[in-house]
Amino acid sequence: MAAYLSALLVCMKPLNLLLIFAMVALGIVFGAIPGLSATLGIALLLPITFGLSTETSFVMLLAIWIGGVSGTFISAVLIGIPGSSSAIATCFDGYPMTQKGQAGKALGIGMTASFIGTVCSVAIATVLSPVIAEAALHLGPWEYFSLCFCAITLIASLSKGNIFKGIMSAGIGLLMGCIGMDPINGATRFTFGNVYLTSGISTVAQMLGMFAMCQIIRDNAKGEAKMPDVDVKNMKGLGIGFKDIIENIKTILFAFASGLWIGFLPGMGSGISNMVAYGYAKGISKDPESFGKGNPAGVWASETANNASLGGALIPMMALGIPGDGITAMLIAGLTIHGLQAGPLFMTEQPDLAMLIFACVMVSAIVTYLIQIVTKRWFPYILKIPYHYLYTVILVISFIGGYGISNTMFNIYVMLALCLLSLFMSVAGLPTSPLVLAFILSSKLERYFRQGISYAHGSYAPFFTRPISLILLTVSVLCVFWPYISDHLKAKKAAKNPAPAAANVDVNDD
Amino acid sequence: MKMRRDMVTGIVGLLTCVFFYFMTLQVRQPAKLLEPGPRLLPFVSLFLIGISSIALIIRGYKDRAKEEKPYFPKGGVLKVTKSFLMLVVYAVAMTYLGFVITTPFATAAFIYDLKGNSEVKPVSTAIISVVVTAALYAMFVFAFQIKLPAGVLFGG
Repeated sequence: MAAYLSALLVCMKPLNLLLIFAMVALGIVFGAIPGLSATLGIALLLPITFGLSTETSFVMLLAIWIGGVSGTFISAVLIGIPGSSSAIATCFDGYPMTQKGQAGKALGIGMTASFIGTVCSVAIATVLSPVIAEAALHLGPWEYFSLCFCAITLIASLSKGNIFKGIMSAGIGLLMGCIGMDPINGATRFTFGNVYLTSGISTVAQMLGMFAMCQIIRDNAKGEAKMPDVDVKNMKGLGIGFKDIIENIKTILFAFASGLWIGFLPGMGSGISNMVAYGYAKGISKDPESFGKGNPAGVWASETANNASLGGALIPMMALGIPGDGITAMLIAGLTIHGLQAGPLFMTEQPDLAMLIFACVMVSAIVTYLIQIVTKRWFPYILKIPYHYLYTVILVISFIGGYGISNTMFNIYVMLALCLLSLFMSVAGLPTSPLVLAFILSSKLERYFRQGISYAHGSYAPFFTRPISLILLTVSVLCVFWPYISDHLKAKKAAKNPAPAAANVDVNDD
Repeated sequence: MKMRRDMVTGIVGLLTCVFFYFMTLQVRQPAKLLEPGPRLLPFVSLFLIGISSIALIIRGYKDRAKEEKPYFPKGGVLKVTKSFLMLVVYAVAMTYLGFVITTPFATAAFIYDLKGNSEVKPVSTAIISVVVTAALYAMFVFAFQIKLPAGVLFGG
């Protein structure tokens, strides 16, 4: 508790608070604009943090994360295009509310639901993470390998498109992770005699090339860098009252629980939780027919769930060092840049910094809500920012970021190569999330697997005889078959009860 | 017969596997190891890419009669190629001339490339390009203490 309070005080230092306000505002803009995302915001910020202290770096990264995830509902409500996959279900009822002249209310629900989801889930994560980290200290390389394996399998099997595309993407991520020295014997792999490749491909270069550069030139070529006009009325005030929360309390509670749990599971995240919660809200409603036509419960469910996933994803990231999704993978990369390794040892050896992360997320959530309340009436203007100027600045910052990794031009060329790879993957329909997660986890996956076998004197048996490892491996195998079961269930459900269609746009799968 | 995207992806995947298979064989494998050694992960990755490539080729072949919507709209491939080449030219120019000289020109070029149907005036573009370059330079060099490329021709 003392560590948490002192972490809160660190967040309240004038400079840190100022940074939180600035980064949250920037995050909201990134979240609101379809095509940009919190992931991209973090990717652009990572190189900036090279020269900053660990404390300041994390204040900035976490603030942009929270602002970015919260901001995704703005475009979903105002123009029916989700800022990212985490707000798809928000479109279903948020946009119809806007069409009915209730944009102010829909935005108020989005803001409040995001706030409730983030604050409550982070509070739970703050309490649970140290307990889980303590227990995780007793796990061996067998369990850690199975956990990493499970995370990659889950995200690959839940990818958009088909499972083979997810597997191929994960395979590419693992192959990319092989570049450089192997983590046990130090043998060099795929360096082609280039000394810069000995330490492997930089995560920052990967993010900037694959997210920033590729996304901008791809959207431009697809003609998606344009927004429809926003027509809103009644934007004054919060738009909702305490009564609205009480009326939807059942939906909020379930959406929160499902979001927290889904966020906790490795490989899953807000992109799935909002859909699950929306389905439930519709299922328990006395008037399911009104869903898709502007029922506020749909927005409550979606926004509470996707933000509850944030706290859920923080738990495996902090307690086990396993990223739940692309964004937490980047936060782990941020820790690595500052010489820190997320996981149980981090929680016990660096409790101050660990608590700073939780406290900063909490403060950022509160600041996000405050900023949103004050600036709500100007939300439509965010969507009118001229794209060609914004994207140009992002491209130039990407180049600066690439150079800043090692003060050489080499990483800029790596970024360009990865941009090309990402373009190919987009055209081929390969999802990027499995690649990112597999790339980040590849070295851990390999190290734990080989250590596990070494410790067991060449035996593979402990992977299957240790209960936790066995459970995780079983889950991994099951989730390979999940898409087929899920398709079958969806087809059955769709035949019974057709769901409203999402806006016909590509959204970030991060 | 026009190949579907899945089939092209599968073929590229298989070719990648063949290339990296031979590269993996060149990785030095220490003798008398208790564990599988440094070739394990590359082989696992290649197995995953290989198996999914074959599945995509089969799917592409099965669906060959179905109409496939082009990924980019008309002129999109040319546009994306042009944008990518601009990034490459900026990188090469920055290598030799450094950040300060190349960025105003690159910024202006990006603005024109990304403007779509929006109207952009040359004078305002020139002013914005210079201001963006100066602001980013000041922010990164002075505020964040991050070096920017000086250019090989200028001793960087």
